[in-house]
This record gives sequence, C-alpha cells and structure tokens, in this order.
Amino acid sequence: MRKFSRRGASVAALSFPTWAYLVFFFIIPVGLVLWYSFGYKPDLFTAHSNSTLSFDRYVEAMDPTFLSTFINTLQIAGLGTLICLLVGIPFAYWMAVKVPSKWRGLLVALVLVPFWTNFLVRTLGWQIVLAPEGFVSDALQNLGILNGPIEILYTRAAVQLGVVYNYLPLMILPLFVSLDRAGVSLREASRDLGANRWRTMFEVTLPLAAPGIISGALLVFIPLMGDYITASVLGGAQGNMVGQLVANQFNSAQNWALGSAMAVMLMVFILLTVVIVGAIYLIIRAILRFNRRVLIEEPAS
Amino acid sequence: MSTTVLSDPAEEETATPARVASIRHKKRRDPVSAAMTVFGILVFCFLFLPILVIFIYSFNTGRLLAAWEGFGFNAYINAAGNQVIRGSVLTSLQAAFGTAILSTILGTLGGLALARAKHKAKWATILTGLLALTLVTPEIVDAISILPWFVSLGTDFGITPINNGMVRLVVAHTVMSIAVVTFIVRARMQGTDMALEEAAADLYASPWNRFFQITLPIAAPGILAGALMSFTLSLDNTIVSSFVQVPGNTPWPVYIFSALKVSLRPEIAAVSAIMLLLTLVALAVVALVLRRMGESSTDIAKTIAGA
Repeated sequence: MRKFSRRGASVAALSFPTWAYLVFFFIIPVGLVLWYSFGYKPDLFTAHSNSTLSFDRYVEAMDPTFLSTFINTLQIAGLGTLICLLVGIPFAYWMAVKVPSKWRGLLVALVLVPFWTNFLVRTLGWQIVLAPEGFVSDALQNLGILNGPIEILYTRAAVQLGVVYNYLPLMILPLFVSLDRAGVSLREASRDLGANRWRTMFEVTLPLAAPGIISGALLVFIPLMGDYITASVLGGAQGNMVGQLVANQFNSAQNWALGSAMAVMLMVFILLTVVIVGAIYLIIRAILRFNRRVLIEEPAS
Repeated sequence: MSTTVLSDPAEEETATPARVASIRHKKRRDPVSAAMTVFGILVFCFLFLPILVIFIYSFNTGRLLAAWEGFGFNAYINAAGNQVIRGSVLTSLQAAFGTAILSTILGTLGGLALARAKHKAKWATILTGLLALTLVTPEIVDAISILPWFVSLGTDFGITPINNGMVRLVVAHTVMSIAVVTFIVRARMQGTDMALEEAAADLYASPWNRFFQITLPIAAPGILAGALMSFTLSLDNTIVSSFVQVPGNTPWPVYIFSALKVSLRPEIAAVSAIMLLLTLVALAVVALVLRRMGESSTDIAKTIAGA
C-alpha cells in the first residue's frame, strides 16, 4: 500500500515541470488579462489602470461595432464548420472505407501536406487564384463564362472559402481516425442482419463516427473564432473578425482594459460552446443508448 | 486495419448463393463508389490548388507576386540575396528548433506522467483540463496575455533574458504546443504494457536505466511526432509571434504578414516553396524512421497527425 502511494507521488512529480511551465506562462498571464478587464484606461498615454474595479469595460465592449463583428465572426465560423463537416464526412468515409488499405497511409499523408504548408502562404495562394487580374479570372473570361473579371476577392465569400480551405484538414483527420477505428466488420454485420445502406449509415456508421464529428467540429470552430489572419488576407476591409478588434485594442488603441474585456468574452463564449456541445453529445448518446437497449427476457419455461 | 485483409480468403472458393448475392450487391454499389472517388479526387485538387499556385508563381519574374510576367529563377536569387528575408527565415527556424526541444521535454514528461497516473488521480484530471484549456484558447488571447506578462517580467521583476526576442518566441510558442506533445505521448504510452517497466525493475535496472532503456524507446515514435508537430506549429505561428517579437527578431510569417500591407513579391513564394520542400523531406525522414521501428503506414500517418 505504501509502495503504491509513493509510486503515485513520483508519477505526479514527473509532471511537475509541465505544471510549473503552464502555471507560469499560461495561468498567470490569462489571470492577469481577467484582472485587467476590470480596470480602465486612465488617460491617453497610459495603457491601463486597476485603481478602481468595475464591469464597465464589459458594458463598453458590448457596443454595436463589437456585437456586429462578433455575429459576423460567429456566422463565418459556424458556416465554415458546417461546410467542413459536409465535405469532410464523405471524404473521410471514402478514405477510410472505399480506398484500398495500402493507399490509405499515402492519402492521409497527402491530406497533411496543406497542413504542413505555412498558413499564411496557403492563404496567399488563394489570393492569387481569386485575384481579378489572375489566371483564373482570365481563363473564365476567355472561355466566355464571365464578362468581366471575377469579383470575389475581398468579399465575404472569399473569406468563407479561405476559412474552409484552411481548416478542412483539421476536420478530415479526426473523422478519418474514428471511421477507420470503427472498421468494416460492424457495417458488414449490419448488412448481414438485413439493414439497407441508409439504415447502416444512420444507425451504425454515423454513431460510431460521432466522437470524430464532435472533435473535428470543435477543432475547426474554436481556432476559427479567434483567427483573423485568413479574413484580413482574403477579406480586406470586409474581413473584420473579433480577433482583429482585440488585437487593435492592444496594438493601436492602447486600451488594455477594453481589449482584455473583449478577450475574456471571446474566451467565455468558446468555453460555453465546448461545454454545450459536450453536453448535447452526452444527452444524445444517453437517449440513443436507452432506446437501443436490448431487453433480455427470462426464457419462458 | 487488419480486418479488411482478413475478410476474404475463406469465401474465395465457395460460390454459395450468399456469395453471388454479395457480388451482385457490390455491382449495385458501384455508381456510389465511383461518385465518391470523383469527389475524393476533387477535394484533393481543392487542397492542393493554392499550394501548386504558390509553387508555380515562385518562378514569376515580375515585380509583383500575383501578376505573372515570365518564367525564371529571379525570385530565388533575389530571396537568397535579401538579408532581411534570410534573417527572418533563420529566426523562424531557430525559434522552431527551440520550441521543439522545450515543448518535447515538457510534453514528454507530462505525457508519461499522465499515462502512468492512477485512474481518477486528481492532479492528472486537473492537468488534462489545463492542457485542454491551452488548446481551446484562441491564439489572440495567448498573444495579448503573454505580452504584458513578458514586459513586466523583463522590467518590473528584472528577469532580463525574457527581453531577448528569441527567448520570447520560444517561450510563447511552447505554451501553445505543450498540450499537443503531451497528448501524443500519452496516447502512445497508454497503448503499451507497464509490465515491461516492472520487469526491468524486477531485474534490478536502476530507475535511470529503466527510463532510458525501456520507457523512452517505447515512447519514441510519439515523442518524435510531437517534436515534429511543435516544430511546425512554431514555424506557422503568426499572431502570437507578431505580438511578442522584438525588432531584429522578426520571424518569417510576421515578415510575410507585414509585406502583405505593402506589396507581395515573388520572393515570398520562392522561400515558401523551399520551406515546403524541406518540411516534406523532414516528414518523409520521420515516416521512414517510424517504419523502421515497425509501424504500419496508417499508424505512421496517424502518429504524425497526432491522432
């Protein structure tokens, strides 16, 4: 018994450097931001002061500009996640089920190539593709499909496209892993037991892929809420995201209190999303399990 | 993975009615399968289009990246001669190496500890939660929180090394990649048997030997994948870097981001093309090493993907 608890303690001690690092460079700084958010900007030349504490910055942050930008960001992130899901599910299914297993490793590696290319550079690639004087625009005009140059760069559509592109691999990978783990045998069993393709799809494949769907959706949605790089490359003046507003408060406006309040609201929103998605997942799973439970009756003698 | 391979041989010889039915079944599925293959190829085209474009435009001889003038290697020559570009690429690579080393050490320790923790140990639950929290924190929040902290550490507390641009980049990037390494190593170690370590202990291996001769080799693929992952995450990072950077230590993505506001030149595409090739070579080397350790290709892909 004593040996065990000592072992437990030494295992815990092994993680001490990780603990210390996270506390010192993550918990304390984020805690400071929370503290700053209750302060105010005393005058033009001082970034912030905490001599009186209030929730005023949160009220101030809730102005129409912030709210409309927030809703804009939310729409782009929500729609982006949805499109990634709609593209990612059949694609991951194809990779995990249809493709011969010897090719699978290679295909996963290929999906990873964009992921290993610099984020900004990929986005710049789209800027060239979508440019009004670019080769796609010229080709479309020469073919007579368009009368004038394409006008998609610096619009919301361009931001949406770029966002889907940049985060699609993050959706595909967890989906692929969960579908691959589920294996063929369960689907075959379902077919052997007389389920048709759709029933197998909805009652076997998708429930098994559910953890992948959830983690993929969160992996796409969360970084997307904070990302403003894609939007500023492809959206120009149209691409204002919440992250940009927060950055502006620290870079140009030098109002740490207001910027901190915005950052805290963004963070709280994301955490709430994670909690709600997790809760919905657990509830649905519980309901499904309850409905699908198999009652084993006592054999009537 | 092996299930697909295992299914057939027995059925092969017996052409039972069920077998005939299943063949008919397969034929009926064909259009759907074909459509999915077409869809899959289209998605791959979508994924590779901008990368291909950047690669082609790196041979643009024009002054502006997006306006094609002619084919040539001017951009590569100019980029090699441009001291600012060279400096920023070097800064990025150094920061990425530093981040990979620091976060691999911290993440490996964390991952090993978590994998060996007793079920429902309180510290393990809190540590997992904390790491998950760093993962869901948007980059911009990391950026704005760590900058004031660096400033007060450097000036108020007199910890001067933190004023060094490289130290700042490495420290800030490590915060974001520690969780990835930890989770990869933990996943790797959870699949393995603790009996090996216990056997080593029973055979009078010192804790030190046990760690280096048993634990570390088992964890190696995970550690390698984690190191690679943190290297790339650091190389890719724009937002946090742009906040914490000190003049003279501008990393490559921040250089591109500021060039975006002025004018984009083909040099950027040229350097990016070289960096992509180097990354792919590094990936291939890691994949080879993992294969020699006896991993299957899907496993390698999964390990590298950190899943």
